[in-house]
Amino acid sequence: MAQPIITVTGLSRSFDDIEAVRGVSFEVARGEVFAILGPNGAGKTTTLEMIEALRTIGDGEITLDGHDVATEPQAIRHLIGIQLQSSNFYDKMTLTEQLMMFGGFYSKKIDPLELLRQVELEDKADSYPENLSGGQRQRFSIATALVNQPQVLFLDEPTTGLDPQARRHLWELIQSIQARGVTIVLTTHYMEEAELLADRIAVMDEGKIIALDTPDNLIQQLLDRGFTKKKQVRQADLEDVFIDLTGKDLRE
Amino acid sequence: MKAYVTTILILAKSLLKRFFRDKTALFFTFLFPLIFLFVFGSIFSGDGLSSFNVAVINDSDSEFAREFISSSEEDELFTISETTDLETAKEQVGRGELEAIILLPEDFGQPSGEPTLPRGELTLLYDQADQQLGQTLTSILSGIFDGINNELVPAEQPFSVRVEQINTANLSQFDYLFSGLVGFSILSLAIFGLSNGLPADKKSGVLRRLKATPLQSAQLVLATMLVYVVVGLISVVLMYAVGFVVFDATMVGSWLWLVLFILLSLIMLLGFGLAIGGWAKNENQAAPLSNLIAFPMMFLSGVFFPRFLMPDWLQGVSAYIPLTPVVDGVRLIMTEAKTPLELGPQLALMAGWTVVIYAITVRVFRWE
Repeated sequence: MAQPIITVTGLSRSFDDIEAVRGVSFEVARGEVFAILGPNGAGKTTTLEMIEALRTIGDGEITLDGHDVATEPQAIRHLIGIQLQSSNFYDKMTLTEQLMMFGGFYSKKIDPLELLRQVELEDKADSYPENLSGGQRQRFSIATALVNQPQVLFLDEPTTGLDPQARRHLWELIQSIQARGVTIVLTTHYMEEAELLADRIAVMDEGKIIALDTPDNLIQQLLDRGFTKKKQVRQADLEDVFIDLTGKDLRE
Repeated sequence: MKAYVTTILILAKSLLKRFFRDKTALFFTFLFPLIFLFVFGSIFSGDGLSSFNVAVINDSDSEFAREFISSSEEDELFTISETTDLETAKEQVGRGELEAIILLPEDFGQPSGEPTLPRGELTLLYDQADQQLGQTLTSILSGIFDGINNELVPAEQPFSVRVEQINTANLSQFDYLFSGLVGFSILSLAIFGLSNGLPADKKSGVLRRLKATPLQSAQLVLATMLVYVVVGLISVVLMYAVGFVVFDATMVGSWLWLVLFILLSLIMLLGFGLAIGGWAKNENQAAPLSNLIAFPMMFLSGVFFPRFLMPDWLQGVSAYIPLTPVVDGVRLIMTEAKTPLELGPQLALMAGWTVVIYAITVRVFRWE
């Protein structure tokens, strides 16, 4: 593996009596898309928030681009961009104004229109966030995460609640960001999404990583254990039907 | 350091723009203190005595009685009610709608006796709970009769009393009230306006997103303070405009000192709103704490009634609460032309509170 940009060693965190994360260790290579999968409550978001310096680390160690997350949170914040699972933006403040404000937080001169163009929202430059559709809001959220030209972009369930068209659109955006050399760490509930986007996948359950490999290897390992699908796989599924019937164009 | 301050200014500018787009907030922030000012100003404006509400029960049909009533009405000493029935009038006195009843008996003002002059005795009825009012009315009516008696039977008066009011700078009751209302409106802006804004931003998740950036909590606190300093100054300017244009307020001190003093007051009182809003996770936590802090301040600092009316021990305690030096200072600058040097005790107390409350704010601040 290439030089890792993130190294997580023996990471744990508990809330009151619940151990949300129990001894998680992994590395993320520079420039890859790393997906964390798992059922609700598996500890994905808690793990992510500790790496992002949003939550105090219970036990263990995280380094990101050579910085210790526990002792240098401010350095980390300059290196990363975050799209939170449930984040919101000031109402009655236009997208341009919000981006300028975020630029101010990083003491960076930015070009808000260029950022909005990257997420295809330039025609919404003077709109308020409360007037955006779900997909637009997620794209704007990514634009704010790109303000500081981050080394690592964190996306927490970026496509949850979006219609298939908006989801595909966001996949393309994520792929274009990766193409610029940005490392991406994301969580998702959609296997199709993980298979399409991720270079490697960590599967979490009950606070532990129970599998970590490329999507192909994970599937191959299952097949090697003698797994066969009950139903014969057809060449198309219902989502293909939906996209075929309604088209790929964004509806917003 | 420069970058640190620039970030604060950029954030403050963005938040200020946002504030002026919120019509509801604008209404409550700017119009509410003015409504208060109009209500209290209307009650307390004008000098001296207001007229008494009385009922006159006139059983006499004499010319003298009619003239007596119409002239006392013209003097604006009395506002005479339309009630002419004694029992109804008594009930109204009991309810406080009327202050007294003047009874003119059948023979009032009828010429009689030797020499033949209009004579008579009126009866004044007032609530026994209101002795002071009774005495005031008695002396007013006696004074009127003294004048009439003197005209009918001229007599030499070797002794008399000359009445002169001492009222430096010609201040009205409104001038005393005004400084209290200025303090009150700054307090409501700081504690009720501000302390709701931050928890709302926490609940909606906005602050959570900001926490993920290099922005520091002290920067957010200072930017929010700046926004409300600007808003507060605008609100105070509006109050002064109404106070001077509508209610003829008096200003004998320096405007520069006044502006500086109000600026320092704003910064101190905003600290309380920032501490509450910074600590509270949501509006449900902010509201009771705001009330707990704001109401004692309002009632104990001489906003609505003077502190010298309080018992000694309470005067001692209330001298140190943060709003007291604000109300006193504004009053002293406006009505007694005091300079900051003479306001040393007030400024020292305010400086102390400012340090304490901002230290607390930084400590208790929570992003979510």
